[in-house]
Formats: sequence, C-alpha cells, structure tokens
Amino acid sequence: MSRLALRPDARHVGLSHDARRCKKNMTTPNELIRNFSIIAHIDHGKSTLADQFLLKTGTITAREFQNQMLDAMDLERERGITIRMHPVTIYHQYQGKTYELNLIDTPGHVDFSYEVSRSLAACEGCILLVDSFQGVQAQTVANAYLAMEHDLTIVPVLNKIDLPIARPDVVIAEMEQALAITPAEVLRASGKAGIGIEEVLAAIIERIPAPKGSADDPLRALVYNSHFDTYKGVVVYVCVKEGTLRKGQRIRLLRDGTEHDVIEIGRFRPGMTPCEELAAGQVGYVMAQIKTLGDVHIGDTVTDALRPAAEALPGYKEPKAMVFSGLYPVNNQDFETLREALGKLRLNDASFTYMPENSEGLGFGFRCGFLGMLHREIIQQRLERHSSLDLVQTAPNVTYEILTRKGEILVIDNPQKVPDPGQIEEFREPFVRISFLLPSENIGDLMQLCTERRGIYLRTEYLSPARAILAYELPLAEVIYDLYDKLKSVTHGYGTMDYELIGYRPADLVRLDILVAGKRVDALSTIVHRVFADRRGRKLVKKLRGEIDRHLFAIAIQAAIGSRVIARETIAPIKKNVTAKCYGGDITRKRKLWAKQAAGKKRMKQVGQVEIPQEAFLAVLETDQ
Amino acid sequence: MKGTRQLDSPWLHPRAAYVHIPFCLQHCSYCDFAVVAGRDERIDEYLDALGCELRGLQEPHPVATLFVGGGTPTHLNCVQLERLLDLLATWLPLEPGHEYTVEANPETLTDDRIALLASHAVTRLSLGAQSFSARVLTALTRSHHAADIRRSVTRARERIDTVSLDLIFGVPGTTLADWRQDLDETLSLGIGHVSTYGLTYEKGTLLWKQKRDGQVHALDEQTELTMYEHSMDRLQSAGFEHYEISSFARPGRRCRHNQVYWANHAYLGFGLGAARYVNGTREVNTRDLATYLDRCRSGRSPTMQSETLSPLDRARETLTVQLRRAEGIERMSFHAQTGFDLDELAGATIRRLVELALLADNGISVRLTRRGKCVADSLTLEFLK
Repeated sequence: MSRLALRPDARHVGLSHDARRCKKNMTTPNELIRNFSIIAHIDHGKSTLADQFLLKTGTITAREFQNQMLDAMDLERERGITIRMHPVTIYHQYQGKTYELNLIDTPGHVDFSYEVSRSLAACEGCILLVDSFQGVQAQTVANAYLAMEHDLTIVPVLNKIDLPIARPDVVIAEMEQALAITPAEVLRASGKAGIGIEEVLAAIIERIPAPKGSADDPLRALVYNSHFDTYKGVVVYVCVKEGTLRKGQRIRLLRDGTEHDVIEIGRFRPGMTPCEELAAGQVGYVMAQIKTLGDVHIGDTVTDALRPAAEALPGYKEPKAMVFSGLYPVNNQDFETLREALGKLRLNDASFTYMPENSEGLGFGFRCGFLGMLHREIIQQRLERHSSLDLVQTAPNVTYEILTRKGEILVIDNPQKVPDPGQIEEFREPFVRISFLLPSENIGDLMQLCTERRGIYLRTEYLSPARAILAYELPLAEVIYDLYDKLKSVTHGYGTMDYELIGYRPADLVRLDILVAGKRVDALSTIVHRVFADRRGRKLVKKLRGEIDRHLFAIAIQAAIGSRVIARETIAPIKKNVTAKCYGGDITRKRKLWAKQAAGKKRMKQVGQVEIPQEAFLAVLETDQ
Repeated sequence: MKGTRQLDSPWLHPRAAYVHIPFCLQHCSYCDFAVVAGRDERIDEYLDALGCELRGLQEPHPVATLFVGGGTPTHLNCVQLERLLDLLATWLPLEPGHEYTVEANPETLTDDRIALLASHAVTRLSLGAQSFSARVLTALTRSHHAADIRRSVTRARERIDTVSLDLIFGVPGTTLADWRQDLDETLSLGIGHVSTYGLTYEKGTLLWKQKRDGQVHALDEQTELTMYEHSMDRLQSAGFEHYEISSFARPGRRCRHNQVYWANHAYLGFGLGAARYVNGTREVNTRDLATYLDRCRSGRSPTMQSETLSPLDRARETLTVQLRRAEGIERMSFHAQTGFDLDELAGATIRRLVELALLADNGISVRLTRRGKCVADSLTLEFLK
C-alpha cells in the first residue's frame, strides 16, 4: 500500500509548513544529517517501513498518507513494486537535537539493480530489511553486496516481526551465515504495526556516519536521478557532496560543460518543497530550465560555473540494455505515431533505447533495448496505455558478438543481422553469474533446469539445513524469458534469483529461420545452440501451427538452418464456414459479428497472404525442452 | 412516404413486408427466433396490438411481396388466422403479380387452414419440415412426423401455387446417409423450392446449452461440408437452381421476398422482434411480448433498435449480403445502389479471392464459386478487414 507515499510531485502536501521548516534548517550542520537507503528483497516491506518513518516523524499526517496513496504511478501500484526512486527528507528529534534524515528509496526487482546502485552512491548507510518469515532472499544478498562495495554502513532490520509465523532466530542465523552480520546488531520491527520504528531511527543516527564534505568547498553535487515535469521541465535529483547549491546560482554540468541558472531548489518532503539552499550532505532537487532528460546524465556532477570544482565525482556506468526486441505497429502508417510515443516514454526512462529497423515481414518498426524482461513488459504496458496503437512485439533476444573471418567484431542485437555462416569465425554470447536462493529440497530440480539450459555449476552454499544458495553460470539467453517463472514453479514460490553479467563466451550457435507459406519471416528467426536446433525447430513449427488460424488456403510452416529445412507442418485450409440463414432480421446481427471478427484480424500482422497473431511471434520463446 | 415513392430506388422505398407471428406449440431446441410457446391466450391481444402497429402506416401500403413468418403463423386457430389475413389485406394490399408467403408447420396445416390461406391470395407455403427422420425430428424437438409432411404437401399443392420445404442438415448424430435420404424424400414430393440449413448452435438455445455441456457433439467440419456439397449436387441434378447459399428453386420458383433481403433492398416489418429497413435506416422491434403489447396498445412504437449506416458501411454490407446470391454482385447496379465503385471498394480483395478460385469475376459481376460458397463467411471477413 505504501510505495506511493514517496511520490515526489505531490506538492499539495503540507507545503507552507515544510517551507518554513526548510528555511529554518537551511544550514543543518553535517553532523546532524544522515543519508540512507533501504535495501530489501521485493515484498519484504520496504515501502511500508518508509511510510512509518514519515508518520512517526510527522512528515505527513495519517490523513495525508491516505490522500497520497491515491495519486501514484498506477503501474507500480498494480504490480506492487517500486521502480523509480522516491526520495524524501524527514526531520527527527533525537536526544534533544533535530536530525535531517534523507531517505532514498530503491527498487526491489532484479531488472533494476542498476537503480539500486545509483541510490547507494548518494548514501553513507543503508537499512538491510529482511522479512522475518521469508528470510534471506537472492536480492537481499545481491543488494547487501552492492552496499558493501560502496562501503556503506549496514543497519540490519528484521521486518514483520509481529506475524505469528515470524521465525526471527532462524532468519538471523541465515543473515549471519550469508552476509556475516553480527546477530546482536539486528533490530526487530514491523512497518505495518509500527513496532520498533524509534529504534530503527535511533540506529540510523547512531550507526550511520554523517556525510563528509564542507559547505564552503567548491560545489560538487551528484546527479542520481531525474524526471520530466510537463510544466517545469527536467527536475534533477542531487546529493550535495561538497559546497552549497543556491537558488539563482549559475551551475555547470561537468560532463558536457553546459551551464544553467538555478530557478528553484528544494527537498522532497515528500512533495517537492522549495528552499533557498542545499549544503554539503543534503539531498534534494534542482530545476534549471533544462529542456530534455537527454541533457542530464545520471551520475554527472553539478558544480558552480563561477567557482568550478576541478574534478567530477565518480559517476555511474551507463545502464546497458540487455534484452532487445522488435516493436512494430500493426498498421505501417502508425510508424511515426509509434516513434512519438517511444520518444515520450524515453523522456522519463533513459535506460530504455530504441532504433528504427526494418523487417521484411513486419515492415518498419523499432528495435528496443531494455534492462530486463520486467522492464520490457512495463514499457510495453505504458505504450499501450498511453497510445491506442496496435503493436506486435517480436521475441526478445540478447546481444551477441560475432568475430568475422576478417577479424571484425559485429554486435548482433537482432537475429536478422547474423551474417552467412561462412563469414563467422566465432559466435559469442553473453554469460551471467546467477545465484539462486532456494529450499534445499528443490536443489535437484533446479540443477536439472540449469543443466538443460547449458548452465555451468559453480557451488552450493547452505544457509541452514533447509535453505541454500546455488551458484551457476548461464547463457543470458537461457535466463531472460522464463527462468524466473520456472524457478518459482520448481520451488513453489520460495526460490529467488539474482544475476550479473560476466562477459561473452564462444558458443556453437546458429540462426534458426521460420518460413511461413514459403516466405522467411525474419521476425521469427532466433539464435539457438546447434545441439538444440532440430528439436527446437520441430517444436516451434508445431507450436506455430496452433497459433496461426486456418486460412482459405493451406499454409506450410517450415523451420530451416540456412537452406536446410529441418521441420515442417501444414495448416489445413478452412473447409466450411458459412452462415445458413441470412434474412431481414439477421443482417444487422451478422454485420456486427463480422465487424468484431474483422477487428480481431486487424490486430494481426499480415505477412504475405498470411495473418500472424502476436502470440505467434512470442511462440519462439517457448523453450520447454 | 407514399407521396414521394420512387419505384426506381427499391433499396430506399419498400415494396416488401414481413409480418411476424411468434406463437408456437413449443420452443424447438435449435430456434432463436422471437417465439412464444404455451401462451395461446395472448393471441387475440397480439392481433389487436399488431393492428395498432399497422395503423401506424396511416394509410394502406401496397406491397409486391408479403411474408408471414414465425413462430408458427398456422398455430393460430381458423378464426384468429382469418382475422390476421383480413388485417393484412387491409393495411398491406397486394400489387398485381404479388407473392404472398406464409410459414407453416406440417402438423398444423389442416384443410380448413389451407382453404383460408388460399382464399386470401396466399401464393406460397414455406413448410418447416426439417427432416423425415424420426430420430432427427426428436433431436430437434419437432412435434410432427414424416407422414405429416407428405400429407400437408399433397393437400397444400392442390390449392397453393408454390410449396417450399425447410430442411436442416448437420444435426448431431446424423450421417451423410441420413441427409441423402431426407433429400430423396423431399424430391419425391415434386415441390418447387427447398431451403437447406446447416444446423447452427445459436447462443441461448437448448442445443447450444447441450453442446456447451458436452451432451451433444457438433459434426466434424468434413462431414458438414460433404452434406452441403451433396445438397448442391443432388438438387442441381434434379433441376433446381442454387440461387442463394441455402436456397434452391426450380426455374420461376425463387422466393422473391427473400431476394429483397439479399439485394439489400428496403422492406417493412411488423410484429414481435420484426426487422425493417426503410430509407437507409434499420429498425428492430422489441422481442418481449409484454412490452410489444403494451407499446402498441398505447400508441407508441415497438421499435427497440435503430441504426443508420454511413454510406461506406452500407456499401460494405450490401457487398456481403449480395455475395450470397447466385448472380452475385453486379457492378453497375452496385454502383447505382451504393454510390461506390466495386473495384475501388474491394478490387484487391476480389482479385486475391479470384486467384484462390473462391470468387469468379466475368467483368460484369462477381460471384462465389462452388468452393467459395462453402466458406462464404470467411470471404466476408476478407472484405471487412
């Protein structure tokens, strides 16, 4: 319920009160500031805990809390996950002093680990939140390691301690085993019931170091996020590391050297609340009449144009799209509309990429890159929600590398770009190191799953007799589509996973083509391992036979590698489909029925004479091997 | 309407009328028409209401074809039937050379009723025979026997010009042999018109529910196809013209009233659930008996639905409806009727379907081929998408 409470653009919330407070605390000394994140596995109650901080510190009232819940990103609410970072500044009285606590929320899903890393760079510490029933999960481990890499102080907290099924001792033992956390440091809380919140706030103040850096140094502020506001332009989220950021100041973005005048600065309380300045250690936002998100690079450094800092802060790696798929308008004349829609989406999501491409079968469309499958799904849903376009999406693929006989390296983000086998010296695919956290009893099933997917076993590590971490190296292509679902099904929902890219490796890969009615449908081509090609081809044509409706003529569906056909199925033509009675009263009814059926056909993609439904383009993903 | 009547625009100004009599002895398992079973006490009220609806014409409207369908019009007793026929004679007088059809069920066609119909200038009887097989008649919950069909046809032909038989094929559990026998029996009667309907499972009917619940199983596509092809072969070899997808007639015996529908021309409609198409507007009356009675008696219109299509949609509709006819879509008259050039509207689709041998195009008109007739609905979709 709570992930909405941190929405930054809820300006109506307690503005005047906040503005006063903001001014009064304009010059909070460093030692009274704490910047922290909450890291957790998805559903471990991160946002609920954050809401409790807001309530307990009077940042919002219970009534406002309710109001805010109503205005939020509907996709996040539906999916129950946090995608974007929602920062907030809260003030807390502790031992007679007022502390400024800047909370930077993080997303919990595996596709968005990049965003977690961004948030952590703006902090000195973090709360590691673990569900006291579910225990340590794959993202708990992954996020904790990320925090350690950033040298952050970790405050371990067990959440949902009030649940009758909580098993704190077992989970604390897991935390000790997996993350070397000292049991005595672990706090117990319940975000839902409001238990232990004071203790957690106290631990943030006592254990997490205050930010270093002086308000008098030349300005260096880290850009850790941004969003686009239709009325105000780009809102840049910053963490001031050194110096002071003031309204009216002329700032420079170090990477491109562009300069802007600061129109407004402020904090997230949680609505955007203007203030006069942000000094070293403080977190907030800057608006400087920047027109597009493309002009602001996440990880860039903001400095004073008149008194610039010599060096930029250590930035971030650019987010790298790992999964690609083609996106085509069903009607070719919608191409420009689709381009506009994609452009709008990218305004608020720089991690998503798109390039025009052309398919023989599908016409003009775009090759889009995503952080992962969840990201891909979210983008697709946003597109459908905000435009009335009928779209066809091709099966996702990863980026391959090909070393040609001439010694060139080709980057292949689309099976259609695979050159002739004769030109290929080496075909390489991306590998990931993947950790599964799962009940010990399912280890056998999961190992089998990984073996079928060309996995290389690394190790098993037991957190307790009942739970283990299983580590594998797997081709990313075998991971992206349904491994997560398979893991969930093998472990009855108890397994979790996390992965990181480890590089490219040579593999015996081929392009598997599909011919429909004698015509190669380039959008149905896939890259597969040679060993699996025959079986995959047979399965695929069988699957396609079921996905493509019968037509007025027979349709051959073939799978081929190069010119060699390895499988064939035939879709028989429609033999009889005729309405017996069509008299006066039937005409309207029939026309409506036919119009409905014809509209259904319109959503299909016409390839030659054959109508291919969207499902068929995804059939290539069905990898039940 | 009468003052501005233009005889050269039959798609706007009706010279055809349909009158619906919903009453039946029972509700058959496949039927989704507006029918009322076991409510005979309402027949007189219904005739009153129908009179009110007809009075809405304000003055008699002469028609070239009149079709009384149901339900079972001949379920009315002789007094009621005569009242109906008199009412229609008053409001819908027949033009010279008229066609006047009444639907009947074989078991209801007594000599009295035949005489009554003949004396009111009825020229055509459409008999709901459906089958000669006792097993099939039971499955369709019909209340007559094969003997009723033979008797009623013989008696009717003595007084009435044309007799047509409705037959249903593709009933669950039947074979091609059953269907052959039905057609042979039909031909042995020497009648001039036959309609053969492939069984459809209309939503809400008893058969539809039985199929949904797995109690009956639809015939496979190949068997249905073979049955339909056999109808074409058998009836055509017996001298019948296959003049519409489900309709066969000996020369000169086509149903002129139904051809109005397939030309997408205008027609009047009266009675429960009746449809009309006047001046480019389609209307349908309520299917609820109480509402119908109430509205008509209080001088209000029983119309429940009304729509006027755009010229383009009307042209498309005309195309799909006319495609059902043996003569197909004739380019000149299509243009006159719709304002659209057939080839501009659908040239590419026509060429594609001609290539697949589903349509035949002689430059003047476009018609379904034999194979095209079997998949006419799929062809319609090609034109609409």
